[in-house]
Amino acid sequence: MNNEDNADKKGFLSAFHKFFNKIKELFVAFAKRFKDASTGTKISHFVMGFGNIKHKQILKGIIFFIVQLGFISLMVFSPEINATPFGSKSLVNLITLGTEAGDISNPTDNSMLMLLFGIVTIGMILLFVMTYFASIRSSYKADLDIREGKLPTTFKQDLQALLDERFHIAMLTPALIGILVFTLLPTIFMISIAFTNFDSLHPAGQVLFDWVGFENFVNVFNGTGEIGHRFLPVLGWTILWAFLATFSNYIGGILLALLINRKGVKGKKVWRTIFIVTIALPQFITLLAMRNLMADYGPINTFMVNIGLIDEPINFLANAASPWVARITIVVINIWIGVPFTMLMTSGILMNVPRDLYEAAQIDGATKRQAFRYITIPYVVFVTTPYLITSFIGNITNFNIIFLLTGGAPNVPGYIAGETDLLITWLYKLTIDQNEYNLGAVVGILTFIITATATLLTYTRSKSFKEEDAFQ
Amino acid sequence: MMTEAAALKPKAFKSVKKSERISNILSYGLLGVLALIWMFPIVWIILNAFRTEYNTSGQLIGIVVSHYFPTQLGLENFKLLFQETLFPRWFLNTLMVAFFTFILSTFLTLCVAYVMSKLKFKMRKRYLSVAIILGLFPGFMSMIAIYYILKALQLTQTLFALILVYSSGAGLGFYVAKGFFDIIPDSLVESGRLDGATNFQIFTKIIVPISKPIIIYTALTSFIGPWMDFIFARVILGETNVELHTVAVGLYYMMYGERIDSNVFTIFCAGCVIVAIPIVALFLMMQKYYVEGVTAGAVKG
Amino acid sequence: MKKALLILALSFTVLLAAVGCNSDNTLKIWVGSESEAFYTEKMVEYVTEYNNTHDEEFPYEVVVSGVDTGTAASTFLDDTEAGADIFTVAHDNLGKLIAGSSSIAPITSAALLAQIDADNPDSFKDVIKGTVDGTTYTFGIPYIAQSLVLYYNTSYITAEQAETWEGILAAAKAANKQALSLTGTDGFNNSFLLLATDATDHSTSLELYTDGVQENCFATGDDTIAKLKWGQSFFLDANGAKKPSESGWEVEISDEKSISVIGGAWHFSAAQAALGENLGITTLPTFTLTEDDAYGTAVAGTVYKSGSFADTKMFVMKKNSERAEYLEDILLFLSSTAVQEESFEAVQNLPAYKNAATEFEAFQEDTLEADLASAQVEMFSWGIPQPFGFSSRFNTYFYSKGAPELILAILENAENAYSTDQDIYDQMVEIQSIWTTGLKLE
Repeated sequence: MNNEDNADKKGFLSAFHKFFNKIKELFVAFAKRFKDASTGTKISHFVMGFGNIKHKQILKGIIFFIVQLGFISLMVFSPEINATPFGSKSLVNLITLGTEAGDISNPTDNSMLMLLFGIVTIGMILLFVMTYFASIRSSYKADLDIREGKLPTTFKQDLQALLDERFHIAMLTPALIGILVFTLLPTIFMISIAFTNFDSLHPAGQVLFDWVGFENFVNVFNGTGEIGHRFLPVLGWTILWAFLATFSNYIGGILLALLINRKGVKGKKVWRTIFIVTIALPQFITLLAMRNLMADYGPINTFMVNIGLIDEPINFLANAASPWVARITIVVINIWIGVPFTMLMTSGILMNVPRDLYEAAQIDGATKRQAFRYITIPYVVFVTTPYLITSFIGNITNFNIIFLLTGGAPNVPGYIAGETDLLITWLYKLTIDQNEYNLGAVVGILTFIITATATLLTYTRSKSFKEEDAFQ
Repeated sequence: MMTEAAALKPKAFKSVKKSERISNILSYGLLGVLALIWMFPIVWIILNAFRTEYNTSGQLIGIVVSHYFPTQLGLENFKLLFQETLFPRWFLNTLMVAFFTFILSTFLTLCVAYVMSKLKFKMRKRYLSVAIILGLFPGFMSMIAIYYILKALQLTQTLFALILVYSSGAGLGFYVAKGFFDIIPDSLVESGRLDGATNFQIFTKIIVPISKPIIIYTALTSFIGPWMDFIFARVILGETNVELHTVAVGLYYMMYGERIDSNVFTIFCAGCVIVAIPIVALFLMMQKYYVEGVTAGAVKG
Repeated sequence: MKKALLILALSFTVLLAAVGCNSDNTLKIWVGSESEAFYTEKMVEYVTEYNNTHDEEFPYEVVVSGVDTGTAASTFLDDTEAGADIFTVAHDNLGKLIAGSSSIAPITSAALLAQIDADNPDSFKDVIKGTVDGTTYTFGIPYIAQSLVLYYNTSYITAEQAETWEGILAAAKAANKQALSLTGTDGFNNSFLLLATDATDHSTSLELYTDGVQENCFATGDDTIAKLKWGQSFFLDANGAKKPSESGWEVEISDEKSISVIGGAWHFSAAQAALGENLGITTLPTFTLTEDDAYGTAVAGTVYKSGSFADTKMFVMKKNSERAEYLEDILLFLSSTAVQEESFEAVQNLPAYKNAATEFEAFQEDTLEADLASAQVEMFSWGIPQPFGFSSRFNTYFYSKGAPELILAILENAENAYSTDQDIYDQMVEIQSIWTTGLKLE
């Protein structure tokens, strides 16, 4: 015990040491560079871009200077957006999430915007620090160039570099901005929400909300409230659904592709087109049609009553007697939605089965049937396994079909999450319908953990595939 | 069963003909039944779009009815769609959003995919793993946050915001295209470099010309997206300005909502048909590329 | 990467610089999308009148836009910045707007308060108020209202039969049809039994968030149990009410599977399309307890009139507006009975004005539209506004947490589990628990 503890401690300590040393090295390098640099570059440490300007890299220097000026004025003046300060004040606000409770004539601090702006400000500080070092590096590089007797790069040269050795930067920057603003920032924001009590009783701008630590997560595991009671059942159904949906589509799609690609079948293109139309149609259209066709006196029920299959209409989608009616219905409708997609994909693969495999089999005297069983099927399965796994993950977050068909019904008394709700529709209901943002965020994080685990497993698996290099 | 039938090919000449004929008939029969099942709801929508039945007081019956085949066909629903709703406006909005999304999105996707596949640089591995991780967070989770970010930028209730949001997904959704570029041999890039071409020239002169399938696939999927999405568009555009709605949002509100007038079902169907025509046409024209794209993406994972 | 970072930092700065406050001179009014044109016209009238009677020109440019009032208020309700100077909300969304410090302004103008008091039915007056920091204020000005009515097939049901459920049931038996369809499975649709009140004195033991207090719910009174017992026999009768489902009521009515349907004004067009000349409209019918239905103090022979939620839409004002005085003057005009009447004539907005049925000319005409309007206005006195505006959670507890399904289970006697009085009583205890706590009893 003690020994292990010590070993742990040692491991921890050495990691700590390493980390510390790294930081120390950074500082030393920084100090060394400062000492070595020209006066202009030295001043650049305080007035960004000064060194560049001195080295006749005027435009670059001005840009650096403007960035510094902009950043400092932002931090000092903390301008207000939607009556919420942005800048250094928002760092304090990020911790307090607002203090002014407001009354009938005065507004309440908007905790949500304070949280958002606080995160953005931290992001901007990080960006500024990086730009700061970039400016010093750039000026120092010019120092070195001069020392070596070269001319510092001109702005034009810098731009040209973007088309060649720094091409990846030019290519990635626009996408990076998009990711930063519309994915990374929102994700960090929503993760933070999971640690607050931002819910329907604390509407932003009217009631302050605050940090609550891990309370929302603890509730999941000690079975408290909506999320504690419903998480496991919803998770169970989500995973079951993902299995059923994935495999029914996969098998159905392959069978359909084989049927269409049979030698004797003529008009392959026409057949394929018939099925493909369903992919091209928006799901809110086709699923609405489905919902109406499945109504009590809709064509499907009427047909089944008429041929004597059932006595009275089945309530397919909101059958309170058993959730399995709705669940099975959804899986069946999903076959209608998804099979054409798999069919399309497998058709492509079937046409591309390497010829030499068949030829080799023929030489070995295999019958067509054997060739099919031992070559075609394994090949298709081999090639599509990654797809199988990604579509499994896709089905975990398959929103449309549940949302448009049942909306989660039948309901479970006392809870928001119904019997057919998946994690993703539950998340939607919690945030958009019920404004229980913190619970929604918790569900989102848990969904992420599940899909991430599945992906991780996939990755190790598909790596082993890649190493095998090719299908043998 | 049918898979076996597909492979069945006995040796004797006479029986070949007979059993093949039988299995062919079976295949056609099965395909026919399946096609019927698959077309049933779609034909129903189309028929309803053209249904112009009037009730005893001379009112157009716009609700769902129980008979599958209309007793009277006409173009009244389309007329109403264009006169009584803002559909033409929605259509133009969507066309605009789809057009710019497809330009921006295709451009971004190709850039990122190519860089990730063919250029080696310091942050590459890290970017890839961050992209995977970020992509796994459910999009709806950040929807609220995106709304407020757009609002802080004073962009909510604009179509521009919609274009931005749709296109910004490209930075993460580059896997299919990367799969395609991975297949292109590195030697092609190398030879370009030996000829003294810059990376930019290699990309524009060598890679782009041979990437037609993946460009078309990316363009197609990003163009179709805005026609189908009714969730993000609803949140970003809000209910406040009906004139800004896309067709998906506009049609969605016609039939899904708390207090809807269900007498507009046939008009809704007419709208659906008009929306479906360009998408289906595009889809069928580009089918070949779509298959290639999907297959490339699926196989590479 | 430094270029990328640099560009990033730059673009952020530029974006931020671009985001400035541009205070403008427009005065925004949001109304229901169907009445955008009408209120635009009215505001032109108002401004003209203002300019004629005042020394100064009306200082703002008025913009009226149409909004889906239900969703506008609910989706991003806490986002009041996006709001207009005057906007329309359904009364049951009021709670979200006044939670905590309130994001809308209380009405202070004496003239406006007096007009609200004089024009509205008592039931509406309760739901337009809210308490902030211990003081109760009036926040909303009702100007549109709606309630549920009965649409029926006149080729089977006479006007006299339509007055009672027994009459309708007899008509259904004679034709071997089902007596009633509901338009959905939610709690709004099956509320006609719960909300039924004594036909002679309007009394009921049912309490739903009285005075806006979460605990003030009572669903286990003798009369409530008796009403549900009657409802159960109505749903279980082969010719009684059809089990509700999510879609397809239009087909049920047009194919004459059932001969009446409970619906709101938004169902009118569809009901008319389904029934054509055979459409009749009236208030929700009454029912009489039989020996079997009697429970405790609710004795056989008691007559109840089915009730409905009567909703009102109201104008509210943006908080902290320096234009408050102008806004209140505009509202005085927009919610006046004269404008309500014109709005009914122009775009069929049902007035909230309590004497509309007798005073408004349009109500006296012999048209289906007038029938629909009169039936609704009459239903106001047999119904209550959905009392969920006090807290955003009441609405969730009542509609979204499965209580409606529990009521349906009683009515359909699911799995024969609700055959005895005690079973029904126990179920109502559960429902009451969900209403008050959001959770079932363990």
